Amino acid sequence: MRKSPTGESTLLVDMQTVAMGLAPAVQAIDLRKSFGEIHAVDGVSFELTAGRIYGLMGPNGSGKTTLIRMLTGLGRPTSGEARVLGVQMPSRPNLARIGYMTQSDGIYPELTASENVRFFAAMYGVRESGAAEAALAVVELSDRAGTLASELSGGLRRRLSLACALVHRPPVLFLDEPTVGVDPALRVQFWAHFHELARDGTTLVVSSHVMDEADRCDELLFMRGGRVIAQGSGQDLRVRAGTTDLEQAFLRFSADQEPAT
Amino acid sequence: MSLRRVVATFRRLVQELRRDRRSMALLFVAPVVLTGLMAFVLRGQQVAPVSAVVVNEGGPAGGAIVDALEGALRTDGGSVTEAPDRAAAEAALRDGTASVAIIVPADFVARLTQGSEPSLTVITPGLEPTADSQQVVSLQRAIVTAVTQALPDAGVHLPRLDPQTLYGSPNSDVLDHLAPVFLGFFAYFFVYILTGISFLRERIGGTLERLLATPVTRGEIVLGYSLGFGLFATIQVLVLLGWTLLNVQVPAVGPLPAFSAGLAVPVAGSPLLAFLVVMLLALGAVSLGILLSTFARTELQVVQFIPLVIVPQALLSGVLFPVSSMPDLLQAIARVLPLTYATDGLRQVVIRGADLGYGALQVDLLVLAAFVAIFAVLASATIRREVV
Repeated sequence: MRKSPTGESTLLVDMQTVAMGLAPAVQAIDLRKSFGEIHAVDGVSFELTAGRIYGLMGPNGSGKTTLIRMLTGLGRPTSGEARVLGVQMPSRPNLARIGYMTQSDGIYPELTASENVRFFAAMYGVRESGAAEAALAVVELSDRAGTLASELSGGLRRRLSLACALVHRPPVLFLDEPTVGVDPALRVQFWAHFHELARDGTTLVVSSHVMDEADRCDELLFMRGGRVIAQGSGQDLRVRAGTTDLEQAFLRFSADQEPAT
Repeated sequence: MSLRRVVATFRRLVQELRRDRRSMALLFVAPVVLTGLMAFVLRGQQVAPVSAVVVNEGGPAGGAIVDALEGALRTDGGSVTEAPDRAAAEAALRDGTASVAIIVPADFVARLTQGSEPSLTVITPGLEPTADSQQVVSLQRAIVTAVTQALPDAGVHLPRLDPQTLYGSPNSDVLDHLAPVFLGFFAYFFVYILTGISFLRERIGGTLERLLATPVTRGEIVLGYSLGFGLFATIQVLVLLGWTLLNVQVPAVGPLPAFSAGLAVPVAGSPLLAFLVVMLLALGAVSLGILLSTFARTELQVVQFIPLVIVPQALLSGVLFPVSSMPDLLQAIARVLPLTYATDGLRQVVIRGADLGYGALQVDLLVLAAFVAIFAVLASATIRREVV
């Protein structure tokens, strides 16, 4: 059994430096992941500051999920380094400080909403009582706490999934396409939650392939073909691309990436 | 009715099934393999040579019969030893040096020559009725040869065999032998199906991915699963055990006549030990379910493993056919199946009345515990993760 080199005490020190803005909350250093001939993530480097919302934008298959899996320790990089709160991933103890909302709901349909959240609270090692209730309150599911997850509508299931990801109040939260299949009203609510969390110091990495959500992020990372082709605020990227439309900007940056022929 | 739509449905099914290699294998390969295996088990049955222990109470006249019997058994590859009394003969049966005991009564030869229904006492272990009856059939043949040889003028009065068993009772029915063994088999089977399907749901439902993004260890997952399904296996085994062993007389109530519930299978040993054997088997089944769910993508595919994994085990592990009379190759396979040890352990406890002091039962329990450990390690290895 491999032991993580990081003990609990060092984790605490890292937390402080990250919170003080001395160290990046999430860091990728020339990350690469190959599946045989396919380079799903092909040399990605960035540093994300605590308390901000980052939008990982790109079409399906651009490597967003693979990148997130490496950052959450579910996938080992072929080369390079993924660091979260100063700790190199994969690291099991560090997972207690990371929240991950998967693309699929990832909840137990035969459990009630509150049973689901309680279960994940226990998995994350949350001890204080009321954590599950608090998480359900954040996503405004308190009145459905006793409902079986299978009986919730698609949108409510997404909310429950989000509650499971933040029940341990993680300082870093990865959300893989959190608003897919979510109706516009709920989508607005989701983003309100995200901003609230960011105000409280949480770092959020939100992946999406719909550009109309991009402006809700503090900063964007455009991904294509396993690489980050541009990084900056929405406004900044528009100016650099010389267009008023982010979709156009994405296409402009993509074109720049094409090898000159 | 549109023929086009019928044909389109037909074509779609063919296209789908053709790509589903597993279903194709199940349809065409599995029946061939399974019936082949069954043929191998049945046709390849080696009737173990009779090793008889004889108690001669008939003096020199009886001695002549014993000598003739020895000669007859020798030609079939068997052997005969003599024991001074019944207790010594039973001891030989108990420690396995003899497969059958014969007692030649004092008046045997006299009755044989007088033609007044001579009888021979034949004692078999009684653990595996199929194996026992094979022995008795071989023995009968040898006795006919021996009697006609030793007493050519005795004529037609062939001895009657008085069957007795060391364990259980010669009158026990098939159920008495099968029920305890089926107890183990059912627990194994149902726990495997339940765990396999529920862990598969974790894998395909995205909850496992999410679980692995928490600081949980793989060992914690496997142990938690073992506890959870262990609880239900416990209840199942208790219900089954009660149903098998008990015979509850329900008195007549109103228009309902009195009836008895339960199979009333006699149990020689401690039901608690039988429970222990089945529990170990069920815990192994939990890990087996997790292990095999790796190789399935749908719930149907977990069920498809039944003919490939469960049925061969039922054929080979002595549930239906005695392991000792199977071809050597199959015996070797049987020795690596957990169900073989559970089957033997249950027979030892329920029929033989073994307690923890019996070597055979100790081996069964230790091997089963080892299987639980090995399967648990394999199962946690199938939970793919970068950090343990």
